[in-house]
Amino acid sequence: MNSFLALQFTPPDVSFALIAPELIICVVGVVVMLVDAFARPDQRWLTGSISLAGLLAGAAATVWLWLSWGGASQAFNGMIVLDELRLGFTLVFLLVSALTVLISMVWVENEKLPAGEFHSLLMFATAGMMLMASGGDLVIIFLGLEILSIATYVMAGFRRTDVRSNESSLKYFILGSLSSAFLLYGIALTYGATATISGLPGTTNVAEIARRLNDAQYPPLLFAGAAMMLVGFGFKIATAPFHIWTPDVYEGAPTPVTAFMAAGPKAAGFASFMRVFVFGFPFVVAATNKTVSGELHSAWVSVLVVLAIMTMTIGNVAAIAQNNVKRLLAYSSIAHAGYALVGFIAAGAASSIEQRNAAITAVTFYLLTYAVMNVGAFAVVQLIARAGDRRTEVEDYNGIGFRSPVLAFSLSLFLLSLLGMPLTAGFIGKIMVFRAALDQGYVILVVISVLNTAVSAYYYLRLIIVMFFRERTTSWMAPPIPASIAIALVIAVAGVLYLGLFPGQLINALQAKPIVTLSLR
Amino acid sequence: MRQHLLTILILLPVLGTMVAVAYSFAPRRQDDHYKWIALAVTILTFALSLLLVGGVGAAEFRFEENVNWIGAIGARYHLGVDGISLWLVLLTTLLMPIAILSSWTAIAKRQLSYYVFLLLLEGAMIGVFVSLDLLLFYLFFEASLVPMFFLIGIWGGERRIYAAVKFFIYTSVGSLLMLVGIIALYFIYGTFDYAAILAAMSAQPALLSPNAEFWLFLAFAFAFCIKIPLFPLHTWLPDAHTEAPTAGSVILAGVLLKMGTYGLLRFNLGLFPNMSRQFAWIMITLAVVGIIYGALVAMVQPDVKRLVAYSSVSHMGFVVLGLFSFTEFGMQGALYQMLNHGVSTGALFLFVGFIYERRHTRLITDFGGLATPMPWFSSLFVFASLSSIGLPFLNGFVGEFLIMLGSWTSNAIQHSWTATMLAATGMIWAAVYMLWMLQRVVFGKVTNPANATLPDLSAREIGLLLPLLILMLVMGVFPRPFLDRSKASVEAVRARVAAPPTGGSFAGNKPAGAQVEPRDLSFNALEGGH
Repeated sequence: MNSFLALQFTPPDVSFALIAPELIICVVGVVVMLVDAFARPDQRWLTGSISLAGLLAGAAATVWLWLSWGGASQAFNGMIVLDELRLGFTLVFLLVSALTVLISMVWVENEKLPAGEFHSLLMFATAGMMLMASGGDLVIIFLGLEILSIATYVMAGFRRTDVRSNESSLKYFILGSLSSAFLLYGIALTYGATATISGLPGTTNVAEIARRLNDAQYPPLLFAGAAMMLVGFGFKIATAPFHIWTPDVYEGAPTPVTAFMAAGPKAAGFASFMRVFVFGFPFVVAATNKTVSGELHSAWVSVLVVLAIMTMTIGNVAAIAQNNVKRLLAYSSIAHAGYALVGFIAAGAASSIEQRNAAITAVTFYLLTYAVMNVGAFAVVQLIARAGDRRTEVEDYNGIGFRSPVLAFSLSLFLLSLLGMPLTAGFIGKIMVFRAALDQGYVILVVISVLNTAVSAYYYLRLIIVMFFRERTTSWMAPPIPASIAIALVIAVAGVLYLGLFPGQLINALQAKPIVTLSLR
Repeated sequence: MRQHLLTILILLPVLGTMVAVAYSFAPRRQDDHYKWIALAVTILTFALSLLLVGGVGAAEFRFEENVNWIGAIGARYHLGVDGISLWLVLLTTLLMPIAILSSWTAIAKRQLSYYVFLLLLEGAMIGVFVSLDLLLFYLFFEASLVPMFFLIGIWGGERRIYAAVKFFIYTSVGSLLMLVGIIALYFIYGTFDYAAILAAMSAQPALLSPNAEFWLFLAFAFAFCIKIPLFPLHTWLPDAHTEAPTAGSVILAGVLLKMGTYGLLRFNLGLFPNMSRQFAWIMITLAVVGIIYGALVAMVQPDVKRLVAYSSVSHMGFVVLGLFSFTEFGMQGALYQMLNHGVSTGALFLFVGFIYERRHTRLITDFGGLATPMPWFSSLFVFASLSSIGLPFLNGFVGEFLIMLGSWTSNAIQHSWTATMLAATGMIWAAVYMLWMLQRVVFGKVTNPANATLPDLSAREIGLLLPLLILMLVMGVFPRPFLDRSKASVEAVRARVAAPPTGGSFAGNKPAGAQVEPRDLSFNALEGGH
């Protein structure tokens, strides 16, 4: 009785500071919806501006969390955590959303779509992504995933009258629900398996799972649960063989939404995937292959090695055969998930905290660079596609290089960065993940990734070739570049060059070392 | 300024591109002005690069710059120039204004982008030769690909797209594997810095296991052998050379190929001396096969440009042969031959460009008897061809002779004189294909009426050739100043690669005859006692 009372009077473990960025974004989402309801038709730009301001506020809150960094902490009984993984990824999500707002501002206008709804959905999706990175509990991660997914299903089908958009939305919805079911079932099995012999019920807290691994009562159940979660997350980040939905969904969805989906939810998937597997089923130095945690760890790392190789190879080889630019970029995004997995594997196999943090930073940095160059590329694709996404075939890019040099040269820069050429962000990103993997001795894996990079040269160069080396036979007018997209392009170009030339400061920051970085520079 | 000279040399062309782009927004711009901007920038770069000559001579690096670049991954911005890189930097800066002058009338479309890409290429090429940080080296090495890719693809010949893609993918496959090697080296020594790695290697020879050294040597050698190109990896070269615009071919043959041999000398021989000795027989065999194969294929080419391209394969074989002789003569000769090849083959491509500009064909059968309408062209063309063949008193002779001498006296392989004799036939073949081509193009009667009225070289064309022709003669009769500057640096590499470390892991398992010992042949013996 006494102990029961004591339990009752424990003050709730609440910290609003720790979820300030998420709160801000949610509130902004609601505000955008309200403003949209009362705004006059000629004030539609208002919602985009409010969203941008909200994203900036969210970023400011994140930076504040980073500046007051005093080590990893948690709140809400471990439901929300604050660590290097969360901080880095949160900034990635905010950047992706801000760029998406910028490239969609004119688009919603031209397509006569409800701007307010689009922007509030985008805000909610962002909040979902942030929860996926900050959740320290499988339930929170699942909630974040669902908030994100439901908003994205709607956004994919946002152009209601377009059959392709509908198809995209429906496909994404059906397959996404299936993968959510897998994930949820995996969570349930893990909960059941982590019940201990001493009588404690199971747990969904990631850190607690890691503590109980060797105490698990039903190891086979644990393995099944881990496998199911792997399938669920694998679907979200589009690893082969769970990638089948990607090309169709990316091709059909409106281009700004595709840009968002390829950069944001993929990064969010990586954040929680890493949270659950690297932190939940960690490498324990003392564990041998006989113990449950040792077996589980070696099992998922080896599975990921196979998945990474398949993902890179299938993505790159399939991209070669594509004639639609959005499909091509979809397959390229599959390949990039494979490269990021290489860093993920390194994080999983790391034997010390420093190495693990370095590998996580590598993945975060990789996804950041990918987000910048990918959203930049899609911004150009959207402009060239014109209303209704009509011109997205490779043929449509014939000889436009010198007709519209700004668009063509920035697209070439993004493509070269995706390819991983030096002086661009993509190069440093690749160096980071390959370096992390080589550090753990995965030489063959890195060699395969590198050869894949060479394969990818073929299709990235193809677009450049079409733009610059061919002559256009039909007439073509360069599309005017609206101010909002120009800003997005400037940010992306500057980002690609800055991250490619002087990434040192940011890499330090991603490892959440505010004091060190501030004093050094 | 002197301590930032190398950075200035790299950034000046980049700055030039910005000036050109800024000028494109000027209200009364003219497309013809871009080439003047480019010419001014490249001449200024060349003038500044001459300042390097005075400071270099000893084995250590000069004009060093060493600052932190990406602290989080241990990459540094470390530049420096020694006797090996000095002449290659100067070759680059000399060939650039010539390349721009050669495009003066040939390039009419999209001049801004053309000169921007040329200038970017120059910055990257200088960067390759002066980088002392492996990651920085890789960065410039790869960065030089992109402008060349555009130059071939936009301003190239009919099959330019095929050639550009082949060039890009071929060379990037090799260099990406080198990237893995570079990162692997980082994990062994904890740094990307070339000098630091060298120091760590001599301090702790056991750190690098023979197995690791084997793979690392292969990773680096693969990248460089594609770039050189060594015999079985050469197939990208004829296409790229043939389809590139004249300036592109000049730069490609003159400088880009040298990145491969420079890399072999600096990194493969310098960092992996044990494996270099083990691989010497393979490299020498491939080099000799390349010399003979390149020459034989060049002989039957119907296209003058393709002929010159294949002659490059042959000439670069000589360089590799010299490098892997591990003798001072051979290695100095190899370095000298790199410069010779840049000057002579660069000039030959210019000549091909001149007749192509006039006739829009390069087929040997379309010409004949050019000596009558174009006496200046013909006599200078013959001069450059003779330099390429290796006629005594011209530069080609000095380099090839030194290489032969080194390779004959080499202990890198058993019976190295066989390799030398086979390679020497390459010089004969060179005479055959060049003279036969000259006979069909320059001499004889004018068979095609279209050739009868061709205008001779203009003052600009003669002017841009003149520096190269003078260099051919000077380098042929007075090689001392060139060789003296590089001697100490080459000797430092040779000392590393030629002498097996006492008690090293490879001392035991080498065949007796392959034991390389420092030779007491003083280099000055060549010049006569003084």
